[in-house]
Order: sequence, then structure tokens, then C-alpha cells
Amino acid sequence: MTELDDRQIREALKQAFPPANAELRRDLWPAVLRKLDAHPSRVPWYDWALIGVSASVFLFFPQLILVFAYHL
Amino acid sequence: MDLLRRFRGGEIDAFETLVRQFQGDIYAWIVRIVRDPGIAEDLTVETLWRIYRARQQFRPDGNFAPWARRIATNLAFDHLRRKRPEPSLPAEPAGPPPPDPLLQRETREKIQQAFRRLPAKLQVAAMLALVEEQPYDEIADALGTSVGAVKLRVFRAVRILRKQLNHLGVRPGVERT
Repeated sequence: MTELDDRQIREALKQAFPPANAELRRDLWPAVLRKLDAHPSRVPWYDWALIGVSASVFLFFPQLILVFAYHL
Repeated sequence: MDLLRRFRGGEIDAFETLVRQFQGDIYAWIVRIVRDPGIAEDLTVETLWRIYRARQQFRPDGNFAPWARRIATNLAFDHLRRKRPEPSLPAEPAGPPPPDPLLQRETREKIQQAFRRLPAKLQVAAMLALVEEQPYDEIADALGTSVGAVKLRVFRAVRILRKQLNHLGVRPGVERT
């Protein structure tokens, strides 16, 4: 049996996957809005924890602010 | 430009304008990859939601459409990766396929299944390049990679498919000539 060439593979794929209907059937804005309402963007708890730890360290060891600033 | 700055600033009206302007393009791109209108709609909503959440990363002097397309491609890619591959098909002896519509449908299904067993990266590249005939530079931009990398993925996809289809005795196109 001879092997399929590239053109035959391409034709095979086109036969197997007829053109997709790329027309959007409905407005998706309401669904997007619902999702935005359901998942409001907020700062995660570990960011608050990091801020708290950093603030405490800088409060008790203010000289570290200079070290931190140097590495920024 | 002003619209994009307002979007980046979190103005929901500006985002709504962008959604209405680009939702069709984003959906069309996703459905070309996943080939399922229902899933493509869900992924479009997810893409738009992520776009809003990632608005701070968008440069207002940049181009919105390619940025949105990249996020959409990543989501479509993740969807294909999560999808369980079809069970493998038993091999059939190769022979001249009769011109029976039912068998042609079987052939199509075998090709689809062989394609869906490819790694997701190769599926996306091959679908966009070979079936949808999108320009390689656009595919590369959407995948966040180089044109060379896309060509390599397409090459690998074709090589694997050729092996699988030969193994299954599928001779697409040949029987119709």
C-alpha cells in the first residue's frame, strides 16, 4: 500500500471536518456580565497576608527598607 | 484608542463596546479550533471574562484583536487538552474502499478520531493551518510562538496522521478518483 502524501492528508482532514459555521447565534454580553457578577475580581487572601507580613517586618526592622529598595 | 484606555481603566461601558465589537471574531476563531458551537460559545464567554480580568496587562497602544485571539487560543487549547481522547480503533485490512456513503462516513469518523488523538498542540496547529487554511503568521501570533514552530507542529501532525491512517487502512480521496 502506498503512503498517503501531504495533499491527501489535507484533503482527508477537509472531508472529515466540514467548514464550521462561524456565525455567532446570539449576543454573549449578558452571559459575560453574569460571569463578571458571579466572579468579582478581588485581591486574593495570600496577597493580603504578604502585605501584612511585609508591613510588620518593615515596622520592626526599618533598616530592611533600604535593603529591599536596593534590590528593586 | 480612548476606548482601549477606558477599558484598561476598568470602565464596564467600554468593555461592553469591545465585547459587542469582537465577540463574533473571537467565537469564529474558537469554533474553528474546537468544532462545536456550544463549547465555542462557552469558551468565548470565558475568554471575554478573562480579557476583562487581564485588562491591566493590555497595552492601550497595542492591538486588541490579536491579544484577545491569543487568550482565546489558550482556552481552546486547554479545552482540547482536557478532553479525553477517543478510544483507539481496531486496525482494518487495507483494500479498495467501495463508494458506499455509509463507509465514507465511517472513513470520516476514523479520520476525526485519529485527529482527536493527536496532542492538543498539534491539533490546534494542524486544524488552523490545514483545514481552515489560516496564514501561518496569524497562527503563530495566536499561539504565541514562531512560524517555524507552527510549521514543525503541522509537519509532526501530518506524519502521525499518515501513520495512523495507513494503519487503519484509510485511503481518503483515493477512492473517489
